[in-house]
Amino acid sequence: MRKKYYYLTLMLILVFVVGIFITACGGQKQTDNQSEQQSQSQTQSEQSQSNDKEPIKIGHEVALTGDASMWGQSEENALQMEIEKINAAGGVNGRPLKLISYDNRADSIEAVNVAKRLIEQDKVVAIIGPAQSGVANAISSVTEEAKVPFIATTATNPLVTVPKEGQLRKYAFRTCFIDPFQGTVAAQFAYYRLNAKKAAILYDVGSDYSAWLAKYFEDAFKEMKGEIVGKEAFRSGELDYRAMLGKIKQANPDVIFIPTAQKEAALAAKQARDLGIKATLMGGDNWGSPDLITLGGSAVEGGYFVNLASMEDPDIQDFIKEYKAKFNADPVLPNPVMAIDALYMLVDAIKRAGTTDGPALADALENTSNLKVLTGILTIDPSTHNPLNKPAIIQQVKDGKFIYVEKYVTK
Amino acid sequence: MFLQTLITGLSIGGIYALMAVGYSLVFSILNFSNFAHGTIIMLGAYIGYFLISSFKLGFPFSFIGAIVGAALLALINVRLAYSPLINRKAPPLYLMITAMGVSIFLENMVYVTVGSHFYSFPEIFKQSTIKFFGSDISPLDLFALIFSFIAIFALHLFLTRTKMGTAIRAASYDMTVASLNGVNMNKLIGIVFILAGAFGGLAGVFLGVKYMVYPTMGWITNKAYIAAVIGGLGSLPGAVIGGVILGVLETFVSVYVSSVIRDVFSFSLVILFLVILPAGLLGKYLEEKV
Repeated sequence: MRKKYYYLTLMLILVFVVGIFITACGGQKQTDNQSEQQSQSQTQSEQSQSNDKEPIKIGHEVALTGDASMWGQSEENALQMEIEKINAAGGVNGRPLKLISYDNRADSIEAVNVAKRLIEQDKVVAIIGPAQSGVANAISSVTEEAKVPFIATTATNPLVTVPKEGQLRKYAFRTCFIDPFQGTVAAQFAYYRLNAKKAAILYDVGSDYSAWLAKYFEDAFKEMKGEIVGKEAFRSGELDYRAMLGKIKQANPDVIFIPTAQKEAALAAKQARDLGIKATLMGGDNWGSPDLITLGGSAVEGGYFVNLASMEDPDIQDFIKEYKAKFNADPVLPNPVMAIDALYMLVDAIKRAGTTDGPALADALENTSNLKVLTGILTIDPSTHNPLNKPAIIQQVKDGKFIYVEKYVTK
Repeated sequence: MFLQTLITGLSIGGIYALMAVGYSLVFSILNFSNFAHGTIIMLGAYIGYFLISSFKLGFPFSFIGAIVGAALLALINVRLAYSPLINRKAPPLYLMITAMGVSIFLENMVYVTVGSHFYSFPEIFKQSTIKFFGSDISPLDLFALIFSFIAIFALHLFLTRTKMGTAIRAASYDMTVASLNGVNMNKLIGIVFILAGAFGGLAGVFLGVKYMVYPTMGWITNKAYIAAVIGGLGSLPGAVIGGVILGVLETFVSVYVSSVIRDVFSFSLVILFLVILPAGLLGKYLEEKV
């Protein structure tokens, strides 16, 4: 009997080890293939340019396989397209750019390996990406030590650049606005555009995202002498918010800010309408999912929300046209435009620094100001490494669809 | 404000009551807490949803379909999972564990076959409100509240005015004596589960229309179960009163105390209440119940 168990355990361990090997090797192969393709395409483009100067290598770490690959691949395509244009125009400081993209599968451990490989083997001057906040946090340990800056594309968590109050990661940057900033945008939009003087907030106390957005909204709204007439919370997983909404109704707000996931937002909207609340509803970028409309129905109609990017943004129409002509598909927003912003930011910093040396480059990145990028004008806040006054997209739910309202720049 | 809070509390309490009835019915006969009831409610909601959205049956027929479907599922559940145990005179504790197993099994079956996607019923009642002394109530809430109480009242009539109902009540006092007096226990248990299942289907459709349909929605019944305990497990009027008390209490706490500490506050009250009245409001105090 005992022997039997012994063999069984042995077998199990064997299966595990083999399994790990297979998956690990499979992953490796994918990244290898990717880089091979990459270098092939690069050699081709170099030959066509016949530029004999040593190229400036830019690392790009992104999910090219897995759930997030849709955005990742689009990001890589967009960057290749832009770099070709820059190189055709003579490159940067007389040197061509060369993009080295590796697959990090949106996985923190893989991302750290990729970052090491980019820095140690490929000797890149900076990294564009990653797209996820958790992944960005993970690679920062490598980049801080190696003194190579990275510019995250859609990592919106505040902790990516400022891990602790008063502490700044010198080599971490991003081109997207941080999550809580959406709260500020929403508050100003409500006050200046919707003429709301009284606002209420319904948020999810079990989610950092929601709680931060609520706080920023409250601060910004109060700063403009608006009145917060109600701030109510619920816990993730709850379904009935009528008690809180009933209290909010009594205060008769002009807008209700509901910075939650689409499911909770849809339910809250339905219940608010059930209670006869007519106030305009507003939310953050989590609202931008088709689920909001299928679950919320007519209750979410007329609601506004803040988003990172929109296909209808007039500033990126040329880019979309070019991308479509080249790849025969729509870019998957918002990653490609954020990545191109990052590329412009990096090119500008290299020009200003006159060198590709890590610390000097980081200083130049930090002092990016009034730079024309794809999505608007970019200024980096030296104290947080986040973009200042980055324009946000306001969208509205209308006739069961998301429509573009305007590009809003905070005051 | 007070009236609006009361109305909201009542409509939440009405749904708790509807779900609590299913727990109490089974408990009154078999002395165990049928934790698979929440899953039957969830399946009822799915049946209703697919009948209305994929088969386009219209609300009344989907509603009836969900009730019948859930009742049948409850019957299959008892015949396959509980009857073999009951026939071998297993202690109620084992039945309860089996019920938990059934619940987890069915929930995961839904994950595998239907998926974890959230579904929402098409809008049956247009978003509108009915004015009532300066407070607003949605037509759905009003319909659900009235319909729940009619259904519970009908169940009450069935239990008190029919022969079968009398047999069920007799069995809830003493199963052995009832069966000695010629009551077919197997048939009786089947009927009790069909009734509980039908109420589950009813509650499922209301929950689905009001909130949404997803695999773990059965866990809302945790609160309904607590409502049944407050009212006294096994007592039908107790389940209704318990449900209404819990719904109203929760709503008042979140309006007048704080929405963040609502559950902390209201459940402290529940614990305190049970310390004073361990059998609940209308429960008969018996040992060995699980």
